[in-house]
Order: sequence, then structure tokens, then C-alpha cells
Amino acid sequence: MELAILLGTLLLLLAIGVPVAFALLGATLVAFLVLDLPAVVAVQRMASGMSVFSLMAIPFFIFAGELMHRAGIAARLVRIAEAAFGRSRGGLGQVDVGASMLFGAVSGSAVASVSALGSTLMPMMKEKGYDTDYAVNVTSTSAVVGLLIPPSHNMIIYAAAAGVGVSVGELFIGGIIPGLLTGALLMFVAWLVAVKRNYPRGEFPGWPAFVAAFAAALPGLMTAVIIVGGILGGFFTATESSSIAVIYTLTVAVLVYRSLSFRAFLEATLAAARTTAMVLFIIGAASAFGWVLAILETPSQLAALILSVTDNPILILLIINLILLLLGTFMDMSPLIVITTPIFLPIAVGLGIDPVHFGVIMMLNLGIGLVTPPVGSVLFVGAAVGGMRMEETVKTIWPFYGALVAALMAITYLPFLTMGLVELMRG
Amino acid sequence: MLDRFATITRWLSRLLMFIGATGIAVMTAIIGWQVFGRYVLNASPAWTEQAALVLMVWFVMFGAAAGVHEGFHIRIGAFVEALPVRIRTVCRAFALLIIAACGVALAIWGTQLVREVWSHVIPTLGISRGFAYMPLPVSGGLITLFAIERLAELAAGRERGRMEGRV
Amino acid sequence: AAGCGEISRPLFSSDTHSSDYPTVEAVRMMGRLLEERSGGRLSIRIYSGGQLGSERDTLELTVFGGLDLNRVNLAPLNAFAPETVILSLPFVFQSEAHMRAALDGAPGQAVLDALEPHGLIGLCFYDSGARSFYNTRRPIRTPGDMRGLKIRVQNSDLYVSMVEALGANATPMDLSEVYQGLMQGVIDGAENNWPSYESTRHFETAPFYSLTGHVMAPEVLVMSAHRWRQLSADDRALVQACARESVPFMRQLWDARVAAARERITAAGVEVNAVDDVGAFADLMRPVWERFVRTPAQQRLLDDIRNMAGGADA
Ligand code: NA
Ligand code: NA
Repeated sequence: MELAILLGTLLLLLAIGVPVAFALLGATLVAFLVLDLPAVVAVQRMASGMSVFSLMAIPFFIFAGELMHRAGIAARLVRIAEAAFGRSRGGLGQVDVGASMLFGAVSGSAVASVSALGSTLMPMMKEKGYDTDYAVNVTSTSAVVGLLIPPSHNMIIYAAAAGVGVSVGELFIGGIIPGLLTGALLMFVAWLVAVKRNYPRGEFPGWPAFVAAFAAALPGLMTAVIIVGGILGGFFTATESSSIAVIYTLTVAVLVYRSLSFRAFLEATLAAARTTAMVLFIIGAASAFGWVLAILETPSQLAALILSVTDNPILILLIINLILLLLGTFMDMSPLIVITTPIFLPIAVGLGIDPVHFGVIMMLNLGIGLVTPPVGSVLFVGAAVGGMRMEETVKTIWPFYGALVAALMAITYLPFLTMGLVELMRG
Repeated sequence: MLDRFATITRWLSRLLMFIGATGIAVMTAIIGWQVFGRYVLNASPAWTEQAALVLMVWFVMFGAAAGVHEGFHIRIGAFVEALPVRIRTVCRAFALLIIAACGVALAIWGTQLVREVWSHVIPTLGISRGFAYMPLPVSGGLITLFAIERLAELAAGRERGRMEGRV
Repeated sequence: AAGCGEISRPLFSSDTHSSDYPTVEAVRMMGRLLEERSGGRLSIRIYSGGQLGSERDTLELTVFGGLDLNRVNLAPLNAFAPETVILSLPFVFQSEAHMRAALDGAPGQAVLDALEPHGLIGLCFYDSGARSFYNTRRPIRTPGDMRGLKIRVQNSDLYVSMVEALGANATPMDLSEVYQGLMQGVIDGAENNWPSYESTRHFETAPFYSLTGHVMAPEVLVMSAHRWRQLSADDRALVQACARESVPFMRQLWDARVAAARERITAAGVEVNAVDDVGAFADLMRPVWERFVRTPAQQRLLDDIRNMAGGADA
């Protein structure tokens, strides 16, 4: 009953055009009144949902991206990427997916990925005649791949939620092939859509021009090197790397390229503040909303329901996937991992599924939730960076959802994709 | 009267965004200092993580309030825009009322929150936990103010150029 | 007489540990007892795994009356109840027996009572074992071995001072970043008890565990004073009794958990070592006491605990 009121209020508020954050907060407050719980709790959940250390990567990568964009660093990056990959039709789409996979090898944050690459690549794609919806969809969906390719802090959250016996190292290894597979499928779809829309095919400018483009872009390219090298070399954590990216970008823009005026710097900072406020405000409200879902024991009621329906393993996995996808449309990833792992993992283990395999399924599944409306932080950022409304961009996102779901099904029903490398490691 | 009010809120909103922008820049410096301290000074500053987190809530909430003025919060407009203009206006008014109500809720319960935790100390910073929550009631008040102003504009038939979700 | 405006919903109980952790099992047992003896009027609904928020966050929610029961570490209580700091001081307990005797006796009760002015009713203490250092580099045998190591600590002034007192570089870091931090070398080590060293999987990347046992701070089960005031005197006594009865059960589970964790960690090839002279560590950390014992109430509590030392093993 309370759940119906909560979801009903949310849907009603969303439908009449209340901004997502306020719809979430409003529905949460109504639920608190109905449940006779002190509303001060909702306000506290909102604040603590925002003040999470790993979320700091969001403003930083958005800021770095804004700086790269305004200082012309992104333009130089894309010029070289174009020279290298532009010959296939819609080559920038594939550059985007490839860059997301590389970024995924640096960070576990899909939101950071979409904000960093989105603000770099989207303006270039637009300039080359790609539609904004395409740019947003490619960048958003391919950011999900970074959740599978190690490192991934969500896997660490999962290992903790799964309890004793699940190794983070094995999860990291298990995610590699599924990550590559998902990336490959997205590249394929990006190419298909590009061909259908007749996006430009670049020409190879010849080696001298290529080398010149490379040299011009090198200081900017070093950002990635510094992030990867800095993290792998143990100089800073993934979250810290995002602030280092800002400092480095600023240094390059001011000292090397001399291409950043004070006014452009101010604009970049304001733009970053705006996007960050928008995204984190929703994340905070979603956190208060998620708290009500948890208090109502929504996930465990769902689990009881599934087992009452069937005992066929293939069907149960399908149902679990569908429930996670559904929950993922409304809630954010890390709270869902924490809430649903203790419920679904025992069911899965009972079916003979390895906890590492289930963890990887969960990463991709909940990752898809990050790019689905109404609550999808990656899609929010993607649309925000692209300057487009979320509901406009999802109209043409279906082929990309198709690729993600195909990858999810393959990973769910072909255990060796995940477990092959893991078992090799187990010896 | 309304024009005077509009001028004030416009400047207030700009000020909030400017504070927000400064917040991001300062936060970058804080985390940069954390890395610098650990490697160059070989002494990790203990306060950086908490300071950055507190700062982040402040600038997000300020930015969120300014967002009500500028109308940059994301919304789903597909259903509303399919409706006749009259009903659409009613929906807009209702949405602004909800925003104002959320602002009031943040102001009231946010104030209670700050008061209840005033005696708690943020570890490594040594200041009251109340400072971490204070942006919520402050921003709640501002959100209410901005929402009321837009309602007044809507009533006067001149709330133009501000639609949520355009970014 | 029944309390006025009594709520019928179960007692909402939060725990950041996973569903099979000894503290969660203990509260579950307490709930069973409560339900039996109240004829079903009182019951507990457990939200484990931190699904309702971090310890500090949920502790605040408990004060506001949004949650009724909460199992937390002492660290978040340190922020407003100075008495709790005493139980977290390094080497304040000489042995596990000393620690258990102090918590079961007058000092423990004094700390629980000190929570009431802050809107919390302290029900009982649960064990959390002894915390020791682990790192990626070398066994710690003397305090000198700590020199220059970057040791992750919780966001707590007390822990920062402790690690700095040993000459290491105290690095406050969010728990979510520690595993990768150890793997990549951002930090060299951290400190925790056996079960957490295992459940966080930190032993995979930091294979030297040195048994300093520097802190034996217990965990504590608190109740919201809001809900407490709505209970009748009889029900309060019942809740208190059931909580007390869960303690021996918890300790039994805890000891088994420690043994199991120790066995698995040792089997994984972790190099475990005893330190040569615990006194050397204790002496270096002594200035931490002076810094954090500030009020007469704290000093009295500290003296009472110290006076129990010696006799504890009898
Ligand atoms: Na990753
Ligand atoms: Na979603």
C-alpha cells in the first residue's frame, strides 16, 4: 500500500512535468507522512546521499571536460582520433565507444566517463554533422562498459554486500571479457546506426598531417596517460585522479596552449557548477527515495514473489534480470547493489551460479539502469552535456539498449564468458 | 514591483552560481593539496576529505536553488506538452507549487536537522556537523523564493523563456 | 501503565554488517526473545548490510526517531559523547578478559548512561575484537617498522593521532577506496580486526598482519530515546533484558567468527606475526591519552577501567 502511494506519487509528479529531483523528494515526503516517520530523516538522507567521497569525481571530471572543451584541447584530441579512425562510416561513434572502454580501464565511474568523454567528444560530433541524440546515446551507453572493465568500485561494493567468499580480484578478472564483448556490440550498433543515418566518412589525411595532429594533441593526450599512470603507479586514487585531471588540464591550457582566457575559465567553472548541481541534487533526492524503498523491504518482497512463481533456473535468472532492470529504472546503482545482493545472490547460488558470475551480471544489469529514464544518472549527465532533453534522446536509444541487453543475455546464459579467465586464475 | 523583485532574484541567482563555481575550484585545490601533502610533504592532511565533502553539499544546494530560478532542472516534458495550452499552464503552476513545497520542507526540516546535530563534531575538521547540513535549509528558503517568483510571473502571464530540462 | 501514543510497527534496526555477521545474528536473537516474551507485541525488523546508510548517518536517524535500534561502532559516537572515546583509546584494555569485564561492569554502564542526554539509550556492548596493523610491505615487529608507511585510518582524529604517534603517515581514506588503494600502492596498509581484514578482502593485497592489538573498542547497540519513551516501564525492562541476553550469544558467535577468519587468512598465505614488545607501542601511543582525555568524567572512567586490570583474569 505504502509502496503504491510512493510510486504513484512519483509517477504523477513526473507526468505533470515536475523536475525529477523535486518529484523524487515530493514522493518521498508524502511516503514519510503516510509511514508516520519523521521527515527530518528525508532531508538528512538527501544530504548524505550527495556527500559520498566517490561522487566527487563527478564535478571534477565535468570540470576537466569543460576546460578541455573551452581550451580547444578536446578539439585537438578529436582531430587525431578522426585521422586514426575516421575512415569508417560514423567513425567518431566508434572512437567514442573505444574511448569509453579506455576510460573504463582508468575509472569505475560511468558518470565520470560520460561527463569526461561527453564534454570532449559531443561538441566535435555535432560539428561533424552527427545528430546530438546519437552522440548522447553512444556516449551514455558506452560509459556502462566501464563498470565491467576493471577497476570498478561497484564490484567492491558488491563483494562487500555478498559477504565472505567473493574475491574482488576475481570479479575484476571476470569483468574483462564481458566488458570487451559489450563494447564490441555497442561499436557494431554505433556503426549500423551511422550507416543508416549516412554519417560522414573521414579521409585519411596522410602521415605528415597525422603526425602533426598527434603532436598538437599530445599534451592533451597526456591527461589519459597521467590518469592511468598515476592510478596504476599508486600516486593517487581514482577519485583523486579526477581532481588531478582538472589541475593538469588547467596547466596545459594556460601554460602550453595559452588558449584559455579568464573569461573562458569562468564559463567552464560555471558550466561545471550547473551540471554538477543538477546531477548531484537528483542523486541526493534519489537517495532519500531509495531509503523509503529499503524501509518498505521492496526488494525482499520481490524475491519472495519470484520463488513463488517458478523453480526453473533459466526463468528465475530471466526474472531476476527483469526485476533488477525494473528497479534500475528508478534507483541508482550502489544502493541497489547493497539492497538486492543479499536477496538475489542466495537464490542464484542455490541454482549453482558462481557469485563472481552473478556479480558481473549484476554490474551490467544495474549499469543499464544508469541509462534508463526516469532515474538514470549517466543518461542525465549525457543529456545535460549534450544539451538535449532526456526524453528526446531516449526516442532513438533503442538500438543501443538492444546491444546492452544482448550482451546481458549472453553474459547471463554463457557462464564461460565470465568464468573462463577466473577459472584459469583459480588453476 | 514584480520587476524589482525579478532584478533582486536574478542577482541572487547569479551570486549563488558564482559561489558554486568558486566551490568547485576550491574543492579541486583541496583534493590536489591532499595528493601533494601525501607525496611531497609526506604527511597526509587529515581534514581534506571531510572539507571537500562539506563544500560539495554547499555548492550543490546553492546550484540547485539557482537552478529553480534559471529553470535548468531536468524534467520529463513529453506528457505535458501533449496537452492543450490551458491545462499545460495549470500543470506548470502545480509543478511550481510542488517545487515551492519541497523548498519549504527543506527549510523547516533542514533547520531541525541542523539544530539536532549542532552539538556533533565533524571528525578531522573540528566544526559542528550542523555546517554540513546548513545548506539544505538555506537552499530550501531560496528554492521557495524562486518558485514563488516564477508563480507570480506565471500568474501575470509573463513567465517566458524558462522551461525546465533545456539545460 | 502503557506509554502514550505507542506505535505498533516493529522496531526498525539498522546494521552496516552483512546479514550473517555476529552482531546481526545477536539482534535477530534479541528480536525472537522480545517477540516471545511480549506475546508478539514487540518485534524487531533488521535492515543489515548498511542498506539504510552509513553508521554515522543512521545514528543521526536513530536520534531523530526515524530508526529505533542501531548497532554502531564507537567512532561515530565519539563525535558527541566524549565518554565513548575512553573505550577506543589505544591499549586501554590489557586483555580480552579485561575488556569484557569492564564492559559488563560499572565502566560499561557509565558509558551507556552517557548516551542518554544525546537522545540514545545504550542497551549493550558487542565485541569487536582487537585491531591490528596490516600492510603490503613487511611484518611490523617494532614501532620502528611503521616509520614512513602510509596507513589508512578512519575519518577520526583519534586514529590519526594514534598512527602518527607511531611515526607512520596517517592517511584518512574512505573504506570504499582502500582495496584499490592497497593494490595500487596509494597506501601501504591499514588496521582492523581479523573478521574485517578478511571480509574486506584486504588480506588479498596486504599480506602482512602484525598482531599489535592496539584498540579493543567494542560495538554498541543503541535505541532511539523517542521510541524508548513510548514504551511502558515493563516493556523497557523487557527490551533491556533481551538485549543483555543476546550478549553471551554474540560473544560465542564472535569467537567462532574470529577463529574462522584467522584460519582462512592463514590458509591464504598471509604472514601473521606477533610483535616483539607490545609495551613499546603502548608507550609511544600514551600521549594520545593525554590529548583525548579532557573531562573529569573521562578521567574517572579511565581510572575505573585501569583499576579493574589485574583482577580481570581471576
Ligand atoms: Na572500470
Ligand atoms: Na534508470
